[in-house]
Amino acid sequence: MTPQLDEYREAEIQRLLTEHGAIAEQGITLQRREHLLVLGGEVESAERRDEICRQITANFPDVEIACDIGIVRAAAPSEVEEIS
Amino acid sequence: MIRIAAVGDVHVDKDVLGRFRPALEELPAVADALLIAGDLTRHGTVEEAKCMATEFGDVGVPVVVVLGNHDHQSDQQDAVSDVLREAGITVLEGDTTVLELHGHRLGIAGVKGFGGGFAGACASKFGEREMKTFVGTTEAIADRLGAALRGLECDALVALTHYSPVPETLAGEPLEIYPFLGSYLLAQAIDSAPTALALHGHAHHGSERGRTPGGVPVRNVAHPVIKQAYNVYQLLSEDVDAGLASV
Repeated sequence: MTPQLDEYREAEIQRLLTEHGAIAEQGITLQRREHLLVLGGEVESAERRDEICRQITANFPDVEIACDIGIVRAAAPSEVEEIS
Repeated sequence: MIRIAAVGDVHVDKDVLGRFRPALEELPAVADALLIAGDLTRHGTVEEAKCMATEFGDVGVPVVVVLGNHDHQSDQQDAVSDVLREAGITVLEGDTTVLELHGHRLGIAGVKGFGGGFAGACASKFGEREMKTFVGTTEAIADRLGAALRGLECDALVALTHYSPVPETLAGEPLEIYPFLGSYLLAQAIDSAPTALALHGHAHHGSERGRTPGGVPVRNVAHPVIKQAYNVYQLLSEDVDAGLASV
């Protein structure tokens, strides 16, 4: 249960994601569900994703989170776009 | 024909080292240059810049970059640029470079850019000093970009920014933050010269394609948008070759 998960708490978490030195992510989305907070977006490594969840849990222990953050793929392209 | 590889928002730090290298090893076979549209690092530290130089230096083609807002976070942007230049990477901020490629001259003008919003919902230089400074900062950067573009003599002209010049490539981001993602002043600068292509990053949830009011193609190459190590764009083409399929 996350009874205190209101807009102010959401804003605090959003700022933590950007301003905390161990995170520094501006592309993480937050969606409040009935009993939890769903994290979305993509980051460059699994370590960064795990650190986001760890910091939210440490700073907001009463907030239940579901992490849907992905890792950006970094494969070579198979197509070229002709610009005209 | 000139082929440009491009990506932005790679946010390199120790934990990313090696992730891009397999794709970068293929780079010389598919592109003539690599352009990176800012947010090269996470916090803009010298240590992260060294990681960036390790990951994106010595890739077999010229590498040209602009810095992004993340690269300014630690107020070490000059030192970050120095580290990159020592690794052979060209760092642009209000200036230009010309690459001789297959007998063609590719001109690139780059700035980080800044915010302010777009026609119909743009900030104005009015009221508090902080507001005037905000808009004035973007005006000055856009003026430098326009002058740099107009001063280039080349066969193909590319504008490289971190912030977006158009709202179309922000589609997917919350409307409320558009003024923090780009400015129409950048598009006006791009349209003041015969620009062939404008590349930017910054908007991780944005869209890939747009055009300036003057018709210049704009591509958002933020890594989370293109979802691969880099995109490849072909300019001055008579036909597509190499091993890549045309789209």
